[in-house]
Amino acid sequence: MISNTLLPLLGLMAGADPAPVVADILAIKVGRAETISHGTIEHAVILIEGGRIVMIGEDLPIDRGIEVLDRDPEWTAMPGLVNCYSRIGLDSKGGNDSRPMQMASGELYPASKAYGEVLEAGVTTLGLYPPGNGIPGQCVVVRPLGETAEEMILADGAYLKILARSSASSKKMIRKGFEEADEYAEKEEKAREKWEKAKEKWEKAKKKKKDDDDDEDDDEDEKKTFDPYSPPDRDDEATAFQALRDGELSALISITDSASYLHFLDAIGEEEFSWDLRVPITRELNIFHLAQKIGATGRRVVMEPTMSMHPNTMRQRNLPAELVEAGAQLVLIPRSDSVTNHKAWLRHTGELVALGLPREAALRAMTQAPAELLGMGEALGSLDADKAANLIFLNGDPLEPGTKIEAVMLDGRFVSEEVSR
Amino acid sequence: MRRLPMPFGPLALTFLAPVVFAVGSIATGVDDEPEEAEKEKTEIENYFFAVTGGDIYAAGGEVLRGATLLAKNGKITHIGYDVEIPGTDYFQDMPEEDRDFVTETLDATGLRVYPGLVAISSSSLMGTSSDFADAADPFSQNLVLALASGITSTGASRNVVKLKRYVEHDPPRDFDFGGILMGEGTYASLSWSGRSPTGKASLREKMTSASAYLRVYRKWEKDVKKDKDLKEPSKKGVDSTVLAVLKGEVHARFSADDREDLLGIARLAQEFGFRPVIAGCREGWTVADELGRAGAMAIITPRTRRDKNENLVRPGGASIENAAILHAAGIPIVIKTQSGGINLGGIAGRDIMHLPVEAGFAVRGGLSEEAALDAITIEPARMMGVGHRVGSLAVGKDCDLIVTDGDVLHYQTFVQYAIVDGELVYDKEQELFFAHIRPRAKVEVAPEEKIDAGENLEEDGEEEEDAGGDEGDGDEGEDPEEGDAEGGEEGEDPEEGDAEGEEEGEDPEEGDGEGEEEGEDPEEGDGEGEEEGDGA
Repeated sequence: MISNTLLPLLGLMAGADPAPVVADILAIKVGRAETISHGTIEHAVILIEGGRIVMIGEDLPIDRGIEVLDRDPEWTAMPGLVNCYSRIGLDSKGGNDSRPMQMASGELYPASKAYGEVLEAGVTTLGLYPPGNGIPGQCVVVRPLGETAEEMILADGAYLKILARSSASSKKMIRKGFEEADEYAEKEEKAREKWEKAKEKWEKAKKKKKDDDDDEDDDEDEKKTFDPYSPPDRDDEATAFQALRDGELSALISITDSASYLHFLDAIGEEEFSWDLRVPITRELNIFHLAQKIGATGRRVVMEPTMSMHPNTMRQRNLPAELVEAGAQLVLIPRSDSVTNHKAWLRHTGELVALGLPREAALRAMTQAPAELLGMGEALGSLDADKAANLIFLNGDPLEPGTKIEAVMLDGRFVSEEVSR
Repeated sequence: MRRLPMPFGPLALTFLAPVVFAVGSIATGVDDEPEEAEKEKTEIENYFFAVTGGDIYAAGGEVLRGATLLAKNGKITHIGYDVEIPGTDYFQDMPEEDRDFVTETLDATGLRVYPGLVAISSSSLMGTSSDFADAADPFSQNLVLALASGITSTGASRNVVKLKRYVEHDPPRDFDFGGILMGEGTYASLSWSGRSPTGKASLREKMTSASAYLRVYRKWEKDVKKDKDLKEPSKKGVDSTVLAVLKGEVHARFSADDREDLLGIARLAQEFGFRPVIAGCREGWTVADELGRAGAMAIITPRTRRDKNENLVRPGGASIENAAILHAAGIPIVIKTQSGGINLGGIAGRDIMHLPVEAGFAVRGGLSEEAALDAITIEPARMMGVGHRVGSLAVGKDCDLIVTDGDVLHYQTFVQYAIVDGELVYDKEQELFFAHIRPRAKVEVAPEEKIDAGENLEEDGEEEEDAGGDEGDGDEGEDPEEGDAEGGEEGEDPEEGDAEGEEEGEDPEEGDGEGEEEGEDPEEGDGEGEEEGDGA
């Protein structure tokens, strides 16, 4: 299945390139494919058509006439990397207040060189969040290629970023959001009641008048229908927090340590909505205290592939691995938001795997898991039929230090390099 | 604080012990049975915490050797012998999924159980903010270190907080940030210093006007009952802080060390009728009876060292006997460390981790061990207005306690466990800090039939000295143990001490008698004369 958000894009591509359908089919033979969703396939054949993966399997027979790119056994294929938490290519000005309806899409600057560079580093999807503290706004999902913002944007409003801190003001901001939603709901209900009463009255009056003036024909006002109900205006907070409650929007909660997580739980109380965690790994991050508690929720945790220290010691801790073991869904992002770190992303993750992070979880954490966090888990993130043909091809195991990216494919096209066919 | 009037405290408590208390549990336990098919697991309603086998240092100086303490939902319900523990002594056959309670039992055999220590002031133990409900860090390393040194409650800026640490439970429980704060605004800081004569004059003025207002106000309070239309007298020009002090709503807290300042505060207190808290009080030992008569309370640091001013011909400077002398004059003593924070940078040991050691120095200066323990438990708790909840082990109070491997005042003693609100929040073996120093001896489980005989424990003692026994521990544990045994037997003395604390302030006779011991100084004689004149 392909998500609604991707459909217009595919249409757009088809429109832009009206080539014959058969010529658009490409079969790529690789030594090995990391599918993410169903393990590793040796001698895999990936059939691509119209920017999507049509079929993938081991040594599939290829029909005559289909173009074949044979890179078996030297290439390994895996889904394009998804960085769900980035501000690459954007500047960084932001406030400290609550602006939940601010969209990062508004500040997109397609001409930035950085997009081309991260794409070459294998990152085929980016989640860009708005700047600032407090509640800075909503994330936009883009592909790092395109002349205009429209060409780049895959989905808007992917998640609402909320910074949760151990402070009265931060907790108040979160509580206030839900309070505003409550207030609005109350206001809305009253307005509707009022409207219904007015309508009833109007209908009665109309009926009465009809009865009275049955024979008269000059009815000017009565013919008009009653104004339809229009809900009262609502502010951004009520809109966004109501969307959270209704499940139309999910939140990414950025915390700094274990205490801020407990304070966040304290702030939301009984409120239920969809949220995931962003925990920047600092040198002595103490989130291990709550690994079990967070793991038990099964939520996603966005982290960098970095080792940290047990506080005040020189003992290393592999916090991503600890959280995976506890049951959390790990989502990895580059160590920092620079092009260099995007290029080193696979290597850094490899280091963590060498130090105990399960390999499967690590690969998933760079592809399918972030795609799901961005609400695009059905369109991206793994090598499966009907998913976008975002692939990277490497000359060996993706997590080995010596491995290089040979080619990057975005929506069925090679973007990084001239690939000789 | 409730105290048993007879010297047979342990016996009396024993009498209370076997009362069946969990009536609710029994009822629900039975009721649940038919519903078993529907319900997977009974919801937990009660959390029990039991400490067994330790020597319990209960309120009022009783020591109950090898006794049991039981707490329910964070409050102590039983202290004594033959206490029945749910899940162990009854309901033990009930399947876990039917139980509406969880019981955690801590075996403290060979160890001592003290009330959690109370620090009168501290800094940055639970994060740096003083907004505890919204900014406390229940994972703070300083918090763990404070627990490791036995502190379970503390004054923090103007608040009184409980050192609640986050503990993981199965099934999980919510963390209650609200439970951290026990009280706020416990005292008003006033200043009285010889270096600022204008400050003194201004305070006196404020006191005078506040006390004049208070007279009018009290009259109005009486009259308004008869005539409801009477207007409340205007507070204009009256200092609200000083008024609160004179009304007895808050303690007036002074920082003073010099003898003249201390005398000045004592006179002021007697003149205006309030009980001052004096922090520092370095030369208090030279004017102990004046302070005692004025009903002062003292916060002191026994290790303070300061030579006397050689220009003056009167006793002065710091004295190791300060705490003992002040206590003998009926002044409630609270002991604080020089630094309220935790600084691991040095070996001086004058940060808050050495609160019990600081109290040990007071003992060296002649303070009884009983009073020294009180000075870091119940006295600071009372001073901060939370004496009804923490500071001693008594039925009805919060289950905040520490389990140590020796006399808490002994410098070699380690806190093995700390319990706050009936939750185990510190276990020496589980933390990186002290686990490697003298690892806890594994207490051999003796065959049941032998358990009452002393010999078994002696065997233990041979194996591992620190495991110690209740008695007969030949080698190392001797000193602290013995000291304590005395402390325990003299359970009646501290009561007297306490009573003194309450009454002596008003009794000039007794203060005089004691004052004479050091009354060689002509100045002091003068001082006394004045005091008496004031009193009369």
